Amino acid sequence: MSQEHTGQADGASSSVAHTGQTDPLTVHSKTKPVVDANVLLRVDNLRVRFPVKGGLFARKQWLNAVDDISFTIRRGETLALVGESGSGKTTAALAVAQLVKTYQGAIKLGDTDWLALSDEQLRVARARMQFIFQDPYSSLNPRLKAEDIVREPLESLQSVPRADHQGIVDRMFESVGLRAEQKKLFPHQFSGGQRQRIGIARALVTRPELIICDEPVSALDVAVQAQILNLLKQLQQDYGLTYLLISHDLGVVQHMCDSIAVMYMGKIVEHADRLSLFNNPLHPYTQALLSAVPSVDRELRQKRKRIVIQGDIPDALNLPSGCRFASRCPRVTDICRTTEPELKRHDVKQSAQSSGEHSVACHLVD
Amino acid sequence: MTALLRVENLRIELATRLGVAPVIDDVSFELAAGETLSFVGESGCGKSMTALAIMGLLPDKVGRIAAGKILFNGEDMTQASDERLRSLRGNDISMIFQEPMTSLNPVFTIGEQIAEVLRRHKQMDKRDAWKRAAELLDAVRIPDATHRVGHYPHQLSGGQRQRVMIAMALACEPKVLIADEPTTALDVTIQAQIFDLLEDLRKDMGTAIIMITHDMGVVAEMADRMIVMYAGRKIEQGDVHTVLDHPRHPYTKGLIACVPHLVATLDEHRPPLTEVSGIVPGLQEFGKNECLFASRCDRVVERCLRERPTEQRFDKDQVSACWQANTL
Ligand SMILES: Nc1ncnc2c1ncn2[C@@H]1O[C@H](COP(=O)(O)OP(=O)(O)OP(=O)(O)O)[C@@H](O)[C@H]1O
Ligand SMILES: Nc1ncnc2c1ncn2[C@@H]1O[C@H](COP(=O)(O)OP(=O)(O)OP(=O)(O)O)[C@@H](O)[C@H]1O
Ligand code: SF4
Ligand SMILES: [Mg+2]
Ligand SMILES: [Mg+2]
Repeated sequence: MSQEHTGQADGASSSVAHTGQTDPLTVHSKTKPVVDANVLLRVDNLRVRFPVKGGLFARKQWLNAVDDISFTIRRGETLALVGESGSGKTTAALAVAQLVKTYQGAIKLGDTDWLALSDEQLRVARARMQFIFQDPYSSLNPRLKAEDIVREPLESLQSVPRADHQGIVDRMFESVGLRAEQKKLFPHQFSGGQRQRIGIARALVTRPELIICDEPVSALDVAVQAQILNLLKQLQQDYGLTYLLISHDLGVVQHMCDSIAVMYMGKIVEHADRLSLFNNPLHPYTQALLSAVPSVDRELRQKRKRIVIQGDIPDALNLPSGCRFASRCPRVTDICRTTEPELKRHDVKQSAQSSGEHSVACHLVD
Repeated sequence: MTALLRVENLRIELATRLGVAPVIDDVSFELAAGETLSFVGESGCGKSMTALAIMGLLPDKVGRIAAGKILFNGEDMTQASDERLRSLRGNDISMIFQEPMTSLNPVFTIGEQIAEVLRRHKQMDKRDAWKRAAELLDAVRIPDATHRVGHYPHQLSGGQRQRVMIAMALACEPKVLIADEPTTALDVTIQAQIFDLLEDLRKDMGTAIIMITHDMGVVAEMADRMIVMYAGRKIEQGDVHTVLDHPRHPYTKGLIACVPHLVATLDEHRPPLTEVSGIVPGLQEFGKNECLFASRCDRVVERCLRERPTEQRFDKDQVSACWQANTL
């Protein structure tokens, strides 16, 4: 079967078409059946924990870096994870990619029970989900030529005939805006933005359905950032890609995403579609976060009131019994210090523009 | 405006493998007491180099001031002795460096490090210096400061370490504070705290601030005036609002337009970002008698390729080094 590599990804069947066989990876699901057939990634009650060394005689302690989070991403859409440094964004993404071990929870990619795959099944299935890393300097093998870096992921896919590899690699170079003569160069001969393009070409070469981008542009200069962000959007349209995007830059998030999950100390504290989150943030942490972003927009600077949050982040190994944000929250009340708020769906008036999905974990919002 | 700091036709040369390159090429500017001046531009354009030159801390044997003056209160620092520079550095001009972790010594407590500065430059005795160190930590809002003075750098969060750096820079009540990307590694909520702190400082003590950043939002929020650097040259200068509202250089225009900014009300409309193609030229290109932005510029004309643009002046002290500035 010949590989048509530049065609439109057509939802669930794209990986099937690509591997040239019926999906062998569909394993019976432990979670409730997917209601929305448009959902590509479904994460339920994900927990990831790391052992932490205590003192000499101390008991082994666990840090819950990701603490019971759930989200879905629809095909062709972008979900952004934002939040404080150390809140668990990267860990959550690594767990989804099975690059760190999940402690509890379920992950489904399409119909596949992702965590139930055998090692061999996973090796093949990895082609469906790729990672673009933050650092375009250290994430590429310095001893390989650019084209070999891009080709590498194809090699573990027996389903793609070797004879087709070069053609696929060439098309990828073109798609990400690299010139053909640059295929023979080594990573150090490229600029940062060009290296990130190589990373993107490499991620795309197996025709993945989901691409996880962890701070894909934060190491780049603003002008180059714009080039890469436009490229990611263009590729999303051309190939029907689904993105899980992590970025600390809320301007970038605002530009790229369809929905956003805000994390604080391992929890999702607010989750909403793009317009609801930016135009009507409800959680005090999200409000403070958005109010702190410096902007060139004069209207925004005049309109908003900056909410400065003071205080320290609580010890992650010794969590307070109430809300994790209580120690810094400008609106804290008594119940916040005793009872942990649940992430609850907030009823918003369905406006024409928002899809009305808005969940918040705060006692003051219902 | 009476300038506290006046830089005149500064040229800094770096010795590189490919020869000598003017990493700062004929740059002039002034800084008044109590004002905040921002330097913006992409990586490698010479922002930190300008700051290091003012501090008298150019990389040894590699960089040197080849021409120009740096006048602090009328005194030319390029002619000052090492000893005089050290004294100015401790007392009148201080700097918050780009990387906080590498600028704090991991084997001394933060209290010891601040006290050391005070003893050296303010001739304080040990006890007073220690007490003052705690006060300074409190001033930069480190919680529980009297207790924290005894902590080592690794026991603090990134934001707290950056605040310690600020406390150290403030120890001698400088007249000029140079902040080189002071918040790049920090969360925006922490960044907001640091900016508030710098703002208070400027109001309370009249400190003049040079804020180096690559973030136009930070410029808009923090600065009175701005200078845009490109390939070692000052390509635009002016009052922040004037420049942001009406940039007179294609590079400045590109820098503002290529960033997806937060706006007051978001809507469905999401056009692709404006792109500035290409990248900053390498050091070996610096110094050429041409517009170094020409290869990336959508307004380029023949003259740009054979003559370095001279500074064109506009209202409100706006300056642009572009042959097409009038038409922008
Ligand atoms: N391999 C590991 N072993 C132990 N702890 C870890 C490990 N990886 C991450 N952590 C801890 O888990 C928490 C979450 O880290 P994570 O890297 O996911 O944060 P993040 O939200 O991506 O932050 P940033 O914005 O700084 O990248 C942090 O407290 C971190 O120190
Ligand atoms: N110690 C050094 N030796 C040789 N070259 C140097 C040295 N320090 C800086 N350079 C070079 O000088 C040029 C200007 O560097 P500078 O650090 O001033 O840039 P910058 O505008 O501060 O950039 P960034 O935004 O990345 O901090 C760059 O090309 C850089 O590679
Ligand atoms: S001088 Fe010419 S090339 Fe340079 S910025 Fe102006 S128009 Fe563009
Ligand atoms: Mg991370
Ligand atoms: Mg710098």
